[in-house]
Amino acid sequence: MNDRKKRLFGGVLGDNIVLSGLMVISPVIICGDTLKNAEALIYAFSAITFLSVLISSFVPRKLPYAAKVIVYALISALVYIPVKLAAREFYPESIERIGIYYPLLAVNSLIVFQTEAKFFRMKKGEMIISLLSCIVGFDIVMLLTGFLRELWAYGTINSRIVDMNTLIGGLSQPFGGFIFLGLMCGAYRFIRSLISKDDKNVRSDVNVSDK
Amino acid sequence: MFLINDLITLLAANLILSQALGTSTIFIAAGSRKNLVATAGVITVFTTIGAAAAYLIDLLLQPSAADLRLLFYVIVVAVLYVTLLAAVYKFRDRWFEELRRYIHVSAFNCAVMGTLFTINSRAAMDGTMFNLWGYVSAGLEAGAGFVIAALMLTAAYRKLNSSKVPASFRGFPAMLVYLGIISMAVYSLK
Amino acid sequence: MLKKARKERLIWLDIMITLLTLELMSYFYYGIRSVFLAGICVVTGFAAELISIRLMGRKFTADDLTCTSDALIIALMFPAVMDYHVSVLAVLFAVIVAKNLFGGRLNMIFSPAAAAYVFVLTSWERQLLQYTEPHIKTGLFEEPAALVKSASYVFDHTGSFGHTDFEILLGNFSGPSGAVSILLLAVAAVVLMMRRSISAGAFIGTIFGTGLFAVVTPIVSSRGDSLKYSLVTNMVLFAAIYLVSDVRIAPKRDYYAFFYGLFIGVISYVLVLTGAKENAIVIVSVLFTPIALGFKHLEKHIEKAAVEASAEANAEVVTETAAGEGAPADE
Repeated sequence: MNDRKKRLFGGVLGDNIVLSGLMVISPVIICGDTLKNAEALIYAFSAITFLSVLISSFVPRKLPYAAKVIVYALISALVYIPVKLAAREFYPESIERIGIYYPLLAVNSLIVFQTEAKFFRMKKGEMIISLLSCIVGFDIVMLLTGFLRELWAYGTINSRIVDMNTLIGGLSQPFGGFIFLGLMCGAYRFIRSLISKDDKNVRSDVNVSDK
Repeated sequence: MFLINDLITLLAANLILSQALGTSTIFIAAGSRKNLVATAGVITVFTTIGAAAAYLIDLLLQPSAADLRLLFYVIVVAVLYVTLLAAVYKFRDRWFEELRRYIHVSAFNCAVMGTLFTINSRAAMDGTMFNLWGYVSAGLEAGAGFVIAALMLTAAYRKLNSSKVPASFRGFPAMLVYLGIISMAVYSLK
Repeated sequence: MLKKARKERLIWLDIMITLLTLELMSYFYYGIRSVFLAGICVVTGFAAELISIRLMGRKFTADDLTCTSDALIIALMFPAVMDYHVSVLAVLFAVIVAKNLFGGRLNMIFSPAAAAYVFVLTSWERQLLQYTEPHIKTGLFEEPAALVKSASYVFDHTGSFGHTDFEILLGNFSGPSGAVSILLLAVAAVVLMMRRSISAGAFIGTIFGTGLFAVVTPIVSSRGDSLKYSLVTNMVLFAAIYLVSDVRIAPKRDYYAFFYGLFIGVISYVLVLTGAKENAIVIVSVLFTPIALGFKHLEKHIEKAAVEASAEANAEVVTETAAGEGAPADE
């Protein structure tokens, strides 16, 4: 994968915002215990992040950093309102379940900080592709987490009962989320180091992003 | 005896261990003693003063306009953010460059915003908490909880980043599992 | 280095011998099911250790056999009729998640057995805290019948303990299969402390902390009974030996280890007294991991400061000697 491709599509797997960048992990840990929650979070995160970053890209770059950060947060707080109203139509139960993590998605670090550090240094078209790949990266992790945790903790897939011998109830709890995400990150890095030809390079990249 | 029980209650209500709020911020804070003190201090200022302002917002905001709460909370945090930056610049210009970093990190993150929303939902469930002191003390408690969790992580920071830890798990993944096991012990006390 | 390695193996051997005697007692009370459960745990622990050490690119040595003692500790903390699947998952959690993920025996953070116990407690609490009475033997694949709450649970909730001192000493009351044989545990504690296979400071601190609070704020009307029952119930003795005083986890110096154990003893007693939390000591031992690590940091700082101070003193002596040797020549 050349550098340009990596920059544009890295967000999906190579430089996943959750597994590699430790962004937006609280909703994954707390709410990512069922597929239904995962679906609702994916909708909210994708809509809020995409629209907020897109609108924020029109903010003049000459503004001081602190002012820009505030404007980005205000834009996403405004975008959150119609997104939540729409959610009330399509996912009415999800709002109750996701609770305080719904508004927290609006002040996620991808919008507030990564816009400045990453997206706004790109051309508009590239920025949109890179942003979409970051969102897809989050969505994949969320779906996988929701699917596996629901299966192992409740013995269901999307609320349908599956024949499971032993259920690990703790996986549905916050501590289960912490441990599961930690294991998933480790597995992700392990696979990345196996796939990558330049093993050392991958590990140093990961260390930097973790800091 | 009561002190021990209070400590256990504080642990059980810890926003990081029980709600994963500010997890990524804590990873930064636990890196060094300087980071820990500065980040915890700034976050406590944000959560405490922010909680006081959130009380006023919750008092004035009609239930029909509840969706605007985030917007108002963002405005509160923004005002605090600018005020803190200006204050540090004016009175402590020697440390401005250093402190500025912590203020940037602490302002718009899940730890602060999550605390405000958590206090709001707790007050909605328990009417006795719906007063200025209830909000401010909850804000302070959240700051103290952040310090406790950060100290727990600091104690193991070197071991979690040691070269003896398998490369795939070194750092962030090991920290998550470590916090998960501590959180599991706290949960089992409930 | 060689001495240290040999010591680790000897510690493992000492611990295994005491655990096997407890397992023997468990066999006497609960039959072959208890031995089979222990066997499954040990085999799982060994296999998990072997595979994860290979994945870590290390060679399996005799020191890595500590995984089997951890697995046996887990089995002895469980009811003899514990589900095999759950036991396997618990051991896998102990060996892979709580130990090898952090670097294995070279970089221990948690007591694997304690972490695994808490893991099971959070997901299968009902199974974990229901036991068969002693002398009721369940077949290998039989469904356990007539499950009862432990004697610790009854004591925590009612303050009564309907067993004679003789029964207490022999472990003839319902509870975890290996954690109730008080006489054997007492002997094991003395032997292991004398052979320095457990941290004496941590063990004495835990017992002292629990005992002190049991006398000062008794759980039952008689202070003597409070002291006696507080030490023999809730796995206090077992956890004090095999979890809190684990030399891999507890601070090295007895002085710090004593305070580490003392805090664990006091806090777990308060949790039992105020919340009737069964086996609170195991949970508190996991929660106190950061404290143990903090003490270890402190020990390192002190050692470093001592080395620097002695180096400085040596340097001064050398300078003085050189000056002393130089002086006559000048004269």
